[in-house]
This record gives sequence, structure tokens and C-alpha cells, in this order.
Amino acid sequence: MNIHTYEKVWIVASMVLIVGFIATITYGAVGPGIAMIDDDGGDINPDEINDDERFAEPGVEHVGGNEYEVTVVAQAWSYTPSEIEIPANSEVTFYVTSRDVTHSFSVVGTNVNTMVVPGQVSEMTAKFDEPDEYGILCNEYCGEYHHTMEGKLNVVPEDEFDLTELSVEADDEIDAGNETTITANVTNGMQEDLETTVSLEIGNQTQEEDVTVPGDGSEEVAFTVDSADLDEGDNDWTVTVDDYEESGTLSVVTPEGNESADGGDGDA
Amino acid sequence: MVSRPYYLLIRMSSGTEQREPDHVRTLGHEEYDPIGTAILIGIYFLILVLLWIFMYFVEFLGNGPTVVGMALTVVGLA
Amino acid sequence: MRNAYLDQFPDEARVIKAAFWSSFIALAIGGVLGLVQALHRTDVFRFIQSPDYYTVLTAHGVLLVIVFTIFFLVGTFTWAVTTSLDRGVVDTRFTWAWYIMMVIGAALAGITIFSGFLESAPSILGSELNADVLFTFYAPLEAHPFFYIGLVVFVVGSWLAGVDWFRTWLAWRRENPDERIPLPTFMVLTTTLFWYICTLGVSLSILVFLLPWSLGITESVNPLLTRTMFWYFGHAVVYFWLMPAYLMWYTMLPKFSGGKLFSDPLARVVFVLFLLLSTPLGIHHQYLDPGIAEGYKFIAMTNTMFLLLPSLLTAFTVVASMEHGARQRGGEGYLGWLKALPWRDPIFTGMALAGLMFAAAGFSGMINAGMNINYLVHNTWWVVGHFHLTVGTAVALTFMAASYWFIPQLTGKELWNRSVALGQVVLWFIGMTFMTNAMHRSGLFGLPRRTAEPQYQGFDFEPAVGTVGEINMQVALGAVILTLSLALFLLNMVMTSIGSNSESIPDNTYADTLSGAEDSPRILDNLKLWTAIAVVLVIIAYTLPLASIIDAGGLFGPDIEGFRLSTWVDPAVIESLSEVIR
Ligand code: HEM
Ligand SMILES: [Cu+2]
Ligand SMILES: [Cu+2]
Repeated sequence: MNIHTYEKVWIVASMVLIVGFIATITYGAVGPGIAMIDDDGGDINPDEINDDERFAEPGVEHVGGNEYEVTVVAQAWSYTPSEIEIPANSEVTFYVTSRDVTHSFSVVGTNVNTMVVPGQVSEMTAKFDEPDEYGILCNEYCGEYHHTMEGKLNVVPEDEFDLTELSVEADDEIDAGNETTITANVTNGMQEDLETTVSLEIGNQTQEEDVTVPGDGSEEVAFTVDSADLDEGDNDWTVTVDDYEESGTLSVVTPEGNESADGGDGDA
Repeated sequence: MVSRPYYLLIRMSSGTEQREPDHVRTLGHEEYDPIGTAILIGIYFLILVLLWIFMYFVEFLGNGPTVVGMALTVVGLA
Repeated sequence: MRNAYLDQFPDEARVIKAAFWSSFIALAIGGVLGLVQALHRTDVFRFIQSPDYYTVLTAHGVLLVIVFTIFFLVGTFTWAVTTSLDRGVVDTRFTWAWYIMMVIGAALAGITIFSGFLESAPSILGSELNADVLFTFYAPLEAHPFFYIGLVVFVVGSWLAGVDWFRTWLAWRRENPDERIPLPTFMVLTTTLFWYICTLGVSLSILVFLLPWSLGITESVNPLLTRTMFWYFGHAVVYFWLMPAYLMWYTMLPKFSGGKLFSDPLARVVFVLFLLLSTPLGIHHQYLDPGIAEGYKFIAMTNTMFLLLPSLLTAFTVVASMEHGARQRGGEGYLGWLKALPWRDPIFTGMALAGLMFAAAGFSGMINAGMNINYLVHNTWWVVGHFHLTVGTAVALTFMAASYWFIPQLTGKELWNRSVALGQVVLWFIGMTFMTNAMHRSGLFGLPRRTAEPQYQGFDFEPAVGTVGEINMQVALGAVILTLSLALFLLNMVMTSIGSNSESIPDNTYADTLSGAEDSPRILDNLKLWTAIAVVLVIIAYTLPLASIIDAGGLFGPDIEGFRLSTWVDPAVIESLSEVIR
């Protein structure tokens, strides 16, 4: 072959360029530790997503320390959950799958971006150091309203983040003269114990109780309410734990026949 | 100099050998060094290298968070 | 005596002309739809409903990258084979047969797509006639069976075209047993070989999985499997589009520059490399797909990076050939010779600008190839910017410039207006500069591709430089300029075709070489050897990934039925969604 010297030099330079590119990519993998989406997420039958351990209740879960798992189900044209909240300084592993066609799960303005292929679970881990608000969008055509498929990822300051849930059980009505209990159930999704105070405000009274909710567990707090402390008729109440509250109304009624004879509906 | 289009090519005696009026000299393989090409392609090479570095280290690594391996510790990611 | 192609091969000229006109029609319709998309996405002018946007986009993709490019290719290749072997095809009836087959396939797919615009599309074979699946037709998005049938018929037509070129070459070989394969024919044959290898994947995907499934014969598909089989074809096809442009750059551009091809041996090496490496790297389109191990992605990346080599070699050889021309035309100095190039010639200028754009595309292509950096750009508008530089300019602009050479050759009529032609190629270059630059930039802040209204409720895009509005204006402006350029091109083609016969058509020849085939080892012409190696490479790259995909999801997938998106959607959903949009 009759190859000009300049061209020989160019061939060598081209090879250097190519090897340099491959070296950069390899550096990205071993230096900053960038990993590709791969088959670690495993496969899943889209019809059985609702029965799947992981995907039956998509959302954020605490694994321990600063590690979290977020499961997301994509379907035309939304994500469940559509809004995700995680703390700053966390390492989050996403598990995303699709109920129907191929979508993507792309966190705008970051390198967190995966295809979501039905039958497959996309698994990816990323670290979120700073509080921020990101949009999530689907960048793979998934049907007529593909362009409306979006979500949000909110990274909140660590001290504003918890996985606490509050639910309250209370009667609507009590007979004057009786007592009732308002029961607060506090669930703690974090792996560490949660030390907090549950308080009940009713009428112009406040009751408080300190509780320790075990990691990944729940605790019940029962407040006894005496009708004697309340007004006749409706009494608003509020149960508060940290930033969560739940409220309702408790009516104090005079039992039938006690005071007047007009009809009531008994103790229905 | 004024360039003239190909349709003014005049067919020469043999084969595909053609010559146009703008043709002022004939350069064979031995007499011709593509020095201009070497310069242009050298500039292209530099542009590629610089843009690659910019894209990878500024645009990409600066666009964190990025998907990382779970076991690996993360170094130097913004 | 005039010695144009028409005079040498009048029968072949007629088929080639038909193929070119088929491609121009696809280009005309596809280009106008491109304008509609650009104006719609940027919210400059919206006159279609957003769900129809995807019908438009499917048509734009299929018409431009399947119909326009491949019709032009078969025309060019037929010209290249007959011109360089200096003999006609074996039987023009066969040539007409594959051409007509391709027309039928394209028409069937096209009608199915366009039927998607109808208020109530007709129901044929038990399902509605439409194909809003984009040109990638990822299952379980489902198209009407006619769409798949049309594609297969079209591809089989192109296979027969390949048979035609091989037959013609074999006939020539019998008459010329000891001669080297002329370079243009060599390029055609190597390209055809990798076309056979790569189309096998997509044809099997359609015939075994997608078509039976859309007909209701099979129940479900494995989306990752059909997707992987698509991309097995999907990268090689981009080289298929590119090879006729390369052929023109190697065998015609040196001549238009007034010089000779710098090196025939290296040109052969380049095409052999394309034959070897075009297919075993399709997984680079699936860097962000689940279900494929990282190792396979890395292998695909390495192959991709090495496939840069033939294109980098091409850059040198082609520029050196131009420089040779310029120096023979009296050009001097280190870079002063650039002034001596025939910049007033629309054919030269069009091809040179196309090559320049391809150099820019080379850069964004390297980024796309870089496995992990794909997180940044995957499925953003960056990618759309990239391939409007490659197929949308390097290929399309070269084809348009080449048409200014071909159409006079095929009709015996002089080009209607050279100044308009020169303006046209320059306008295309300017329009693409605006449009693709803005697209690339917008990809970097995450603007998605394939999206009718990339304006979201819950967040805004945050460009590091400039604004979304400014980027939108550049896209819209670029698109308008491009459409104008396209109109000028078509005008020139029509006016040329209805013009009158001319005696001053240049001879049908291709460029001479400075270093000829005799300088290259004969082994380069051993097509059997290269094909065998190419097949082995494909087997190495694909066996394991395909096996693991089938192992995990089964050949027919875990019960994944079809989604005809325009029929299964509950109207109430649309109602509430459009509420949200407003
Ligand atoms: C008048 C000139 C053109 C204009 C204004 C134009 C405009 C556009 C726009 C705005 C998109 C983006 C759609 C989206 O991501 O939502 C697009 C996509 C595309 N264009 Fe063009 N284009 C033109 C010419 C071409 C040519 C000549 C080709 C190829 C030969 C081409 C091939 C494609 C392809 C393959 C896509 C992607 C389709 C998909 O995502 O499914 N375009 N075009
Ligand atoms: Cu989508
Ligand atoms: Cu590719």
C-alpha cells in the first residue's frame, strides 16, 4: 500500500483519539464510579405489578443510614408516585417499571435518566447532596399525551425530612357525662427510632405525650377525653406530631330522656 | 481567480482523463504533499480534543447527580 | 457526441430517474412535516392537535430516513455499478421489479401512517388503519399490520436491488476475470453486504414477532427483544444512508474539485471497516436500557469508537483530494488553496458544506458513543440535532447536490438554474446551522425529543447560557430557511425536467485516483472473507445479550399485549388530561 506520510500520522492520531475516548469513559466508571443501567433490576410481568412486593406500594422507603429506595410505576401518562420527596445527603436507589409501553424516567438537569421498558425493572442509584427541586419527565414517546407525562423530585434539607405518618381514630359523638379515647397511630418509616411528642388539642385543653416510635414500626397513643371538660355540641380537635396534623370534631350530646323528651335517634 | 463549473470540462483523449480550463498544472502522487489538509485536520483534531474534555468534565460530570455503582464510593462528583 | 449517462444506458437511466423522483417526493412531504413539527414544538405556530403531532413525526421519520434516503441510494448505486463496470444491468425488467416492489412497500406504509390523521380511520383486517408508532415502532406500541407489511416489502425490494448489483458485477467478472473491482462498485457491494446482515434482524423481528402479533396470531411480545432486534439494524442503517454520500465524496467530489482521489486503497479499507463494524454495535442505542448487562454495552462502545476510524480517514482523504484539485487549479499556500476551489459550483459547494457539517456531526456523535455520558444526552434534542447534521445534512445535502449532477445526466437536460442551486445549498447549510445548534444546546439542559409540547406544568428548563425562548426562535427560523431551501431544490428539479434537451451535458465519468487500486493488496477485494468476519463479529456481539434477554423475558414476553394508543384510551382520560394541559 502506498500511504502518504501525513496520512500515516493521521491514522496514528485517530487511534490515539479513539483510545483516549475509551479511556475517559473508563475513568468515569472507575473514578467517579458511574454505573450503567443494567440487568440488576431483574424482570417483572407487567400484569403482576400490583402483587409485586416492591411495586405494590410505590414510594420512598428508608433502607438505613442515608440510603433510600424509591419505587416508581410508570404508565401512560403519569408516574406513581408523581411527587417524590427525599432528604439531602442521601443515596437513593430508584426502581422503575412500566405497566404498559416503553417510557423513560428522566430527572431534568441531572444525569439520572433511564429507559423504562415493560417487563424490565430499571435500577439506578444516585447521590443527592444538596436540597433542590427537580422535574421528572418521560422522554420516550408513549402515546398521544406523552408530552403531559411528568413528575417532581424534591430534595429537602435533611432536618425537614421524615417518613412519619399519622392516623387518628376517634368517635364522632359522646354522651354528656361519658369519656372517650382519641387514638393517634404514628408510623415511622425510618429505620432509626423516632422520638417525638404527640399532642391533642380539644376545646381549650391540650394533652401531650412523649413517645419513641421504633424504626420501621408504629406506636399508638391514646388520649382520654372527658365530656365534662368539653362544651355541649361540637368540639374541634387536632392531633399533632411534628409537622403532621389531623383534626376532627367531637359532639357532646345529651342522652335521650335525660333532659327533654323530644325524639333522638337513640344510640345509633 | 474565477472558478468555473464542471460543465465546461472538455473531454480529453483517453479514458476518464479530463481537464478544465482552470487546470494550470498536473500534480502526480509524488509531487503532491497535502500540507493544507494536514493543517486543517490538525485543527479539527484539537477542536475535538478540547470539546471532548469540555463536554465530559464540565457539562457531564458537572451535571450531577449521576447514576453510580452502589458499592463504590463517590469521589469528586459535584 | 454527447456522452451522458442517458446516452450510455438509456434503460437504466429511466429506472434511476424513477427512483430519484420517488425520493424527492418523500423529501418534499417529509420536509414540510418537519416545518410543522418545528413550529409546533416551539409554540410558534400550532395548527394541529398535539396527539396528531406524533402522526406527523412518524411520517417525517419514515418518509425521510427510510423512503427518501433508500430510494436515492438505490438510484445512486445502480448508477455507480453500471458506470464503473461500464456495462448495463443484466436485465432491466428485474430492475423495474424491485423498484416497483419498493414503491408498493413505501406506499402501503405511507398510507397506513397518513390514515392516522382521519377522524375515523377505516377498519381493515379487524383493526383501525394507523401507525402512530414513530419510525422505531417500539412494541408494545402497535401499528396496523399494513405498516409492518409495507416495511418488509420495501426492505425485500432493496434486497433484490442488491441482487441486481451483484448479478451485474458477476456478469462483469466473467468478462474481466483478473481485474480489480472498480472502486464505486466495490463500495456498492460492501455496503449491500452489511445491509443484508443488518436487515436480517429487523425483518425477523417483524416477521416472527410484530406482524403475527398485530394480526392477533400471537398474543404478546417481548418488548426488550424486539427493541434490541430493531437496534441490531438501527445503527447499520445509518451507515447505509451515509454510504451513497461517501461514494459521492470519494468518487465524484475530487473530480468536481478539479483533482483526483487521493487514495483508492484507503477508500477500500474504509468500506471494509464499515462492512465489519456497522452491525455489532447497535447496543450503543440502548446504553440506558434495563435488562442488558454493562459489559455488552462496553463492547458496543468499543466497536463504535473504532468505527470512528473509517470516518476520520475519510475526512483526510476527501479533503486531500479537494486540495489536490485546488492546487491543480493554481491554488497556493498553506490554506490559500481553499480560495481556488470551485465555490460557484452548486454541486461542489453542496457536497463540501455537507462534509463540513459532517465534521461537526462527528463531534456530537463521539459524545453519543461515549457510554456513560449518554446519561446527559440520551433522548434529548441533542440527539435530534446530531442526526440532522448527519442524515439531515451530510446525507441529504450531498444527495441534493448530487441531484444537480444526476438529473442532467439522466434526462439529457441542462440544470434549470445554477444560481438558484447555489443559493439552495447555502440556505440549507445556514438553516441547519441555526436549527441543529439550538437543538444540541437544548439537549444539554434536558429538553426531550419526540415531544409535542415540551412545556411542563411543574418545572421549567434552566439553560446555563441563553434562554428557552431564544433557542425556540432559532429552531423555528432554521426550519423556515430549510423549507425555503427545499422548495428551491424541488423547483429546480421540476424546471430541469420540463426543460429542453441540451447537447452540453458533461460526460458521465467519475474521479481518477492518485494512488490506484494497483497499490492495494488484492485481499481487500475478497468479499467472502470480509463477510465471514463480519458475521462472526455479529455473533460475538449479539449472542449473549440476546440469549439473556430471551432467557429473562421469553421469546414472546411475559404476557405483554398490544397498545393501540389511539383506540384503547378512555375518552374520559383524554378529557381530564386536556383539562390539565389548559
Ligand atoms: C425541512 C427540513 C427539516 C426540518 C424543519 C426538520 C425538523 C425536525 C424536527 C423539529 C424534529 C424533531 C421532532 C421531535 O423531536 O419532537 C425532527 C425529527 C426528525 N427528523 Fe427532521 N427536519 C428536517 C429534515 C430532515 C431530513 C432531511 C431528515 C433525514 C433525511 C430528517 C430526519 C429526521 C428524523 C429521523 C427525526 C426523528 C424522528 C423521531 O424521533 O421519530 N429531518 N425533524
Ligand atoms: Cu412518554
Ligand atoms: Cu448508532
